[in-house]
Amino acid sequence: VQESPRRDGQGAPDTPPRDPRRTVGGETMRLPVLGGPTRARTAGRSGTGTDGTADTTAAATTPEHGETMQLRTVPEAAGPAGGTTGGRPPRKGGGGLIPDGLFKGDLLLSWAPLAAAVVLWTVSLPFVGHRTMGDYGLLDRMPFTYYLALITLTGGFLLSLRRAGTAPWWPAAYCVGLLFALKAVPAVLYDAVRYPWASKHDAVINRLLMTGEVSPYTEQAGNMDAYEQWPGFFALNAGMVRAFGVEAAASYVNWAPIVIGLLLMLVLVVIYRTFTEDWRLVWVGVWIFQAANWVGQDYLAPQGFTYLLHLTIIAIVFRNFVLPGSAGPLRDHSNLDPVAAPVPPPTTTRQRALAVAMLVPLIFAINSAHQLTPVMLCVCLGALLFTRRYRNWGLLVTAGSIMLFWDLTMGRPLFMETMGTIKDSLGRLMENSRAGYAGQLTGPGPELAGKANITMVLAVALLAGISLLARRKLIRSALPLGLVSVAPVPLFAVNDYGGEMLFRVYLFGLPGAAFFAAAALVPPAVGGRRAKPRAARGKGLGAKAPAIALPLVLAALVAGFMPSYYGKEKMYYTPPVESAMVTRAIDNAPEGTLVLATTGSFPQALHRYDKVEQWFFAEQELPENEKMLQDPAKYLSDGIPRGVSSAIVILTRTQDIYAAGEGLLPPGGFADLRGKLESSPLFTVVEAHPYGVVLKYTPEKAAERSGGTSR
Amino acid sequence: MKPDLRLVALDEKRLRVLLAASGWIALAVTLLPAGWPVRWLPALAFILLGPGLALLLPRPRGERDGARLEMWALAGPMSLSLGVLTATLLLLLEVFSVAAFLIPLALITSVAAYLPGLPLPAALPGAAEPGRRKHADTG
Repeated sequence: VQESPRRDGQGAPDTPPRDPRRTVGGETMRLPVLGGPTRARTAGRSGTGTDGTADTTAAATTPEHGETMQLRTVPEAAGPAGGTTGGRPPRKGGGGLIPDGLFKGDLLLSWAPLAAAVVLWTVSLPFVGHRTMGDYGLLDRMPFTYYLALITLTGGFLLSLRRAGTAPWWPAAYCVGLLFALKAVPAVLYDAVRYPWASKHDAVINRLLMTGEVSPYTEQAGNMDAYEQWPGFFALNAGMVRAFGVEAAASYVNWAPIVIGLLLMLVLVVIYRTFTEDWRLVWVGVWIFQAANWVGQDYLAPQGFTYLLHLTIIAIVFRNFVLPGSAGPLRDHSNLDPVAAPVPPPTTTRQRALAVAMLVPLIFAINSAHQLTPVMLCVCLGALLFTRRYRNWGLLVTAGSIMLFWDLTMGRPLFMETMGTIKDSLGRLMENSRAGYAGQLTGPGPELAGKANITMVLAVALLAGISLLARRKLIRSALPLGLVSVAPVPLFAVNDYGGEMLFRVYLFGLPGAAFFAAAALVPPAVGGRRAKPRAARGKGLGAKAPAIALPLVLAALVAGFMPSYYGKEKMYYTPPVESAMVTRAIDNAPEGTLVLATTGSFPQALHRYDKVEQWFFAEQELPENEKMLQDPAKYLSDGIPRGVSSAIVILTRTQDIYAAGEGLLPPGGFADLRGKLESSPLFTVVEAHPYGVVLKYTPEKAAERSGGTSR
Repeated sequence: MKPDLRLVALDEKRLRVLLAASGWIALAVTLLPAGWPVRWLPALAFILLGPGLALLLPRPRGERDGARLEMWALAGPMSLSLGVLTATLLLLLEVFSVAAFLIPLALITSVAAYLPGLPLPAALPGAAEPGRRKHADTG
């Protein structure tokens, strides 16, 4: 098979190659070059542009690569809206501030739903009842206008897809809108850190700032050693906290999903554009990714951050690491899906070596920040070796070497410990793929969230499966994306990652799954560059199925996101008074104090973790906890090691909700526990509120009392 | 054609001058009271995009379709990576401070702003199939 430059030109059969600039008003203007099969559909057609000026769309072929480009040009004699202006660039809207056509046709349909959604979302904010959440978290505390905003956004996005080839910024704007609509509510409204465990990361950053050093070989309380051995992300935040002049990362922590989401969106678009020229497919893929990204790994944490870097490396590899002579039949358009992008140009060994050098800082940053993502990266790069296109041993060896270097130096303690236990976890597929600690989700909200999670996973997998059958040519050219998405799955056989492996594998598989799911919903455009002739296409229900399925599925995924992400929200929002109580209790505790709590999922649980120890005594199987509840005071007293000079128990409302929702304690178990401890002579109440209690372990008082009784 | 190139070059030149100064601006505003938007906004913009954009700009003329998008997508992760490495190194050396964090990044950014952009091989104008080969696969 001989390789040859693209020779299609099918998108513009009547249009000769031309200069991608046109003279307008006596000056030459640079014109946007756009992609997508819809550009062919509009070739040679005149209409109204998004900027309100009359435009002519044409197609051209670049001499270098034979790529078609769409040119949106202002006709030379188009009157005041876009015609000759005596040597000056034409003014929009005939000189007014409002562009012509803003309230007409396509342009109106592009911006009006977005504006309406912004208004609806904004007016809904004061009515969000996050302080009065019940069984269903935020689901029944979001006003009607919020859901209306989501529906409007979805509708507007679907409308914007009609012109995605010529105006891809409109679906982009809707995707950004969706990101804000779905995830900015806590950022705007919450007066506390979302996710109790996010405060743990705040504690690490505070410790780094206080001590000005990392201690990878010092054993830390509460399993915090790993954070000191992979401190990169926390070090960056330490720098940001000081540069911003804020007191702590808690000031901006709730905005992390938005910032990471925006950066991630750009990287996703680069990845998707490597495999398709259809902007509709790109943006539907991004939309599905956002709706299906309910895993909650987008908060201020090493995983969310390194995930971004991981995908960036994958994007660079896809675009810049194609081996010469490896694309073979994929250079022949008859072997490609109508909307498949041509394989990126191959690069020389020297160019790839240079690109590896460019990637080294990113690979190092991943390795300095997280222990699992470097493994995922190596697994993905390893999977790409199965393709000739991306068989780059040098990059894999570089990534593997940096990972080993970090694991054997900074991360040595935990790495050696994991290696020691890995033979026990190896092959235990069921245990490694379990979600969470030990209990079953309990309560209407958590149960609904659990069901929604599973449904979302199955829906995306089903759609991706359909495209495996229906879009085989696209799968063939986008095979590398498929491989990096399924590559992490075998990690189930290795380790359970603290009950998190299931979610992490899903997260790393999502970019590919979302793309292929989108491919099942977005058929090649009518009149696409390599689309079938109109006569050859079906006209029945089968042909209309995607048009019906697309809105339904997109709306259903957004609907599914809500219980998946906000169904357990009662666990994730903690009123500031509760956090203040915990902070006060730990601040007042002498150095070396043992802090007891049912679970570590409450704000400030790891506050001063370098000064105090923790025992989260209910993070175990339910039967063991039921035994504990028979006489909790004695259970705790027996469990406190001899030699501990001081011990306190902190029980909070957030712990109650978490322990009940995750099934760690039976219904009513937490209240029972609190009552028994408060009445026990072994413990003395330091402070008690409706939202929590602090007790001090006082065995000497109990002994005095029992001594007095016996006397 | 020429006015077009001048316009593009001018924009890029202004952006590079701004980039060269961005780190020093972020450092200067640390003298302002804590928490003011005029303090954290320049710092955020610099840490998030400054070093990465400076390393990637200027792009060579006539890049392939999608090269600009690729540049903007890479700028954030590259900047943040350099921030991670700088801050981690400072903590390992036990010399961490806000100035010690921002000055190396500002220096890198200023120097990089006056150097050619990092080559992204697939985006280069000449990047195309070098020749015709036999024995290819489907990848």
